[in-house]
Amino acid sequence: MTHEVVRWLKPLTSLKLTIICLACAMVLVFLGTLDQVHIGVYEAENRYFKSLFLFWTLPNTGLRIPWFPGGYVIGTLLLINLIAAHVARFKLSWKKAGILFLHSGLILLLVGQLFADIFIDRESQMRLDQGQTKNYSESLYHDELAIIDTSGNDSDRVISIPDSQLHKGNRIALPTDSLEVLINDFYPNAALINPSQLPAANYPHLQLGPMADAVEMERTYKENERNEPAANVSVIQGGNVIGTWNLAAGFPRPMSFDAAGKACQIVLRPKRFYKPFAIQLLHFRHDRYAGTDIPKNFSSRIRLTDPAKHEDRESLIFMNNPLRYRGYTFFQAGFDNNDTTTVFQVAQNPSWLIPYISCALIVFGMLLQFGMHLVGFVKRRMVT
Amino acid sequence: MLSNLLEPIKQRPRSELHDRGLQPAALAVVYAAIGLILSSCNNDKVEVYHIPKESVDVSMQSETGSLAPPAATDNPAQWTKPDGWNAQPLSEMRLGSFKVDGTNGSSADISVTAFPGEAGGLSSNLNRWRGQLQLAPLSDEELSSVIQRTEIENVPAYLVDFQTENNNPKPARILGAVFQTADRTWFVKMTGPPDLLESQLQKFLDFVRSFHFSSPAAPNQTAPPGTTKPKSTNDA
Repeated sequence: MTHEVVRWLKPLTSLKLTIICLACAMVLVFLGTLDQVHIGVYEAENRYFKSLFLFWTLPNTGLRIPWFPGGYVIGTLLLINLIAAHVARFKLSWKKAGILFLHSGLILLLVGQLFADIFIDRESQMRLDQGQTKNYSESLYHDELAIIDTSGNDSDRVISIPDSQLHKGNRIALPTDSLEVLINDFYPNAALINPSQLPAANYPHLQLGPMADAVEMERTYKENERNEPAANVSVIQGGNVIGTWNLAAGFPRPMSFDAAGKACQIVLRPKRFYKPFAIQLLHFRHDRYAGTDIPKNFSSRIRLTDPAKHEDRESLIFMNNPLRYRGYTFFQAGFDNNDTTTVFQVAQNPSWLIPYISCALIVFGMLLQFGMHLVGFVKRRMVT
Repeated sequence: MLSNLLEPIKQRPRSELHDRGLQPAALAVVYAAIGLILSSCNNDKVEVYHIPKESVDVSMQSETGSLAPPAATDNPAQWTKPDGWNAQPLSEMRLGSFKVDGTNGSSADISVTAFPGEAGGLSSNLNRWRGQLQLAPLSDEELSSVIQRTEIENVPAYLVDFQTENNNPKPARILGAVFQTADRTWFVKMTGPPDLLESQLQKFLDFVRSFHFSSPAAPNQTAPPGTTKPKSTNDA
């Protein structure tokens, strides 16, 4: 049994594989860095590093052909390679203790990063006007189709359909009252225009109201722009269409309807991440050096309220001084509306300690390994 | 050079590998973990969660109590309903809807709507209202002479009063107010018989003055709101 497994494992322990993976990683970083100019950092990260393969789409077809391993494949192969080499080759001895520590640090770094990417990718923004209170942050890149059951007495039930499921013709069964949502039409990015600006009356568009139409736009990858989808959506119950609406994330207004006697709303909006506490912006400051327009300081005075933890206090968030609360970190990230709106970057990363532990392990391993060599060398020298 | 690097491994006898006592269980765990990771890459599931009821502004609540204003959660304006105005169910585009009854069965309709950006421009919207009263459109200069400009809480407001021609068999009148805030244009419109609107004029003006916006007046905006991200403190 052991013999069979080792034979099966052996190709995975190969140093050739390590070298090939590292070479592929270099090529990947090079390609990703070049493409980032066209598609922005976020899209480049997703396409090159947070993917299994790089795909090439056959012209005039939807056929996607993988042509190069992506970050997940290379990272996973390196991880398997490292672990397999340890299992199959390395002896557990004091002489190799340094290498063992070093490699465990590396493994922890790879695994920790992979888990952080896949399970806790929760970076979002909270935009607050002066005086406004919010208990949610919003995704910068993703949208959701939310169906909100507002019939409860003290809570609303939200069913959130991610934008990855929003495409023309998709029928989504909702986990409630045998409701279904049918996406009749979907524009991944849309502009809102006045009907009089339509190039022709029959130009494809979604009418949002008497004075606003949504027309499809090319997807944008610019750093300072966001895709704002629009959709024509029907809600179906027991085969009967309850209602059909044109919705646009650029103008997220909930539409009301009744489903089995329950008051509901449907809205297409930036994806929300609700928090168990609320933040109110009391005052935003944008200080400049006297007589110049050079910024000196950006700061937001906020009020944090968390009834469950009996927390009600003020706090000041400024550059390099984020608010850390219940696993979330609020960084001062931007401002708008003539300095009356603040924008916080909200990060949630329970594994933030992992890179520190990994680096400590790697440094300790190196010191141990080189230290032992040094001691051995000095000893030999003293003997001679 | 690569072959030199690999040499020590190649030379290692095969039996050495066998003697390590490799743990198949460890391998199984590694591969299971990788399989799990790759299969769970799909974060794209429908989520269901509960949130505390979002507070509805008292001034927005209708008298019937059962009408949930569609945009109460994110509505950046509040207003106070004058006495005698009855709240109506909100339709697709209306953020506020009221009815006021006059004598002899007549009634006037009051609507509050908001649209992103400039909503097609002030002139075209005012001329659209004029069209509803069978009035000819006016040029920008002519319009500027009939628009009454004011400010409500530092937000520019434009007030208009249009009435059908004297010989119109169905006399009607529109009292309108247009506000331009940072991200949208607000329209407050009262439509009904001229006599009834005359008696409601003061209430309409009080209603317009009661508006309170959480987003301030429009700066000289070029891009449609929301399509561009706010300024980063790193770029400033």
